[in-house]
Amino acid sequence: MNVEITDLTRRFGRTQAVASVDLDLGPGVFGLLGPNGAGKTSLLRMLATVIPPSSGTLRLLGRDPGSYPQRRQIRRRLGYLPQDLGYYPGFTVAEFVEYFALLKEMPPNRVPAAVATAVERTGLGDKARAKLRTLSGGMLRRAGIAQAIVNEPELLLLDEPTAGLDPEQRVTFRALLRDLGQRATVVVSTHLVEDVGAACSQVALMNQGKIVFCGTPEELTARAEGTDAAGDAPLERGYSAVLAAARTGTEAQS
Amino acid sequence: MNVGEVPQPRGGFEGRLEAELVRVVTARAAAAPGMATAMPGTTVAPQTAAAPRTTVVWARSPGPVERIAGRLLRSPGLARALVTTPSLLLPWLIASVVVLAAGAIATIGTGQPVVALLAPAVAAAGIAYAYGPGIDPAWELSRSMAVSDRMVLLVRALSVFGLDAGLGLAASAASARAAGITFGWLVPMTALCGLALAVATVARSANTGVAAGVAGWALVMLAGQASKGRFTAAISDSALVLPYLAFAAICVAIVLFATRTPRGTT
Repeated sequence: MNVEITDLTRRFGRTQAVASVDLDLGPGVFGLLGPNGAGKTSLLRMLATVIPPSSGTLRLLGRDPGSYPQRRQIRRRLGYLPQDLGYYPGFTVAEFVEYFALLKEMPPNRVPAAVATAVERTGLGDKARAKLRTLSGGMLRRAGIAQAIVNEPELLLLDEPTAGLDPEQRVTFRALLRDLGQRATVVVSTHLVEDVGAACSQVALMNQGKIVFCGTPEELTARAEGTDAAGDAPLERGYSAVLAAARTGTEAQS
Repeated sequence: MNVGEVPQPRGGFEGRLEAELVRVVTARAAAAPGMATAMPGTTVAPQTAAAPRTTVVWARSPGPVERIAGRLLRSPGLARALVTTPSLLLPWLIASVVVLAAGAIATIGTGQPVVALLAPAVAAAGIAYAYGPGIDPAWELSRSMAVSDRMVLLVRALSVFGLDAGLGLAASAASARAAGITFGWLVPMTALCGLALAVATVARSANTGVAAGVAGWALVMLAGQASKGRFTAAISDSALVLPYLAFAAICVAIVLFATRTPRGTT
């Protein structure tokens, strides 16, 4: 397993962003769905070793991120696209991707080819020498994806990767995700149910810090059967049904 | 569904749209075989074949400073992070040289230790713009990298400090006979740099760090004027050396605390 999570909790002051999450993930594309504030980004930031958990156990790529030497090894094999990708306006696309390839401690002689490959795979080949400040939002997102995949990560964490991409780019990006998921564990946090339906083999739905559903997209779709859950597509109806059930359960408990 | 298996398009208008988009993308991929996973807009050969050609196009030659830093630090990533420090870029360096040169000329012309009073403030501004969330737009991303952000902090802070100290020493040496105070500003500069860095890191704003550094230095000089009747007491009073160093140590401790990775359960 590339990701082993047991009873993971993260608190920010009195707010519990992630509450007792258990999850084991091997290679494949894993979708993380949920409403705003469900805890998806906090969970992803813990997996990216940006923030430590408040309690629970986390092992990534068979290593303990709490130990600095092991965390460094994890980070060399990690790709991360944060929700808010900051960028250096004066960098070109290739310089931006190269910068993070070097910070990931890739062997310097491998970096130029890896940068070229990542930039091509995200469709930015003709923009490689363009300054980031001249790019559209969708292109910046693709530059962010390029830096995330430049080291051919074994664990790839993408927070809202399709935000700003046009429909054609999204379709192609999903194909890229499926390709990456054949070798790596790809965790995609998204609001877009159709991304999950098209690209993910497994999906978890979070609500109020907890995972309220974990299964295949087909199993999520099946949850809508016999309910009057709202949604334009079967998967959306499954999403709504699970979320409604979770909220009802929460209300009943409180 | 197995891992890697392509999910089937869904029904309805959305499903038809998706199917059409898949058809367009597949047609493009067929036109350029081997590119099934490349995104739209790509016009070159497949991944494995693209690398050698694009390597030639995109390979960047590190400059001499980056090459030397890479050898010294034994980390090309750290060297790259160092040469991208805002306050080590050429425009900033030129501005620092101009300010200190003007200070040296003023020192020679007036006999007042202008360089000694300027150097700490220049260094404080430089160090506030050396590191941290206030100046690094990709701060969160950089915190997930193998090259630790604390190492970046250390290398950048030492480099900026060393460079500004060197510039200050040169300006001070050029005007030493006129001012009488030669290196008395080095210790207060250390304290001021500590203050600027600590405030910039905690407040997540380089400008706030600069403001704190300059304001702190103005207060110290005004205090010297009030107690001993001269601004230069801030750099000439040897009784202040230990308090300056203690203050610098406290600021460093604050920076280390602010940049720690809290010990969490793993």
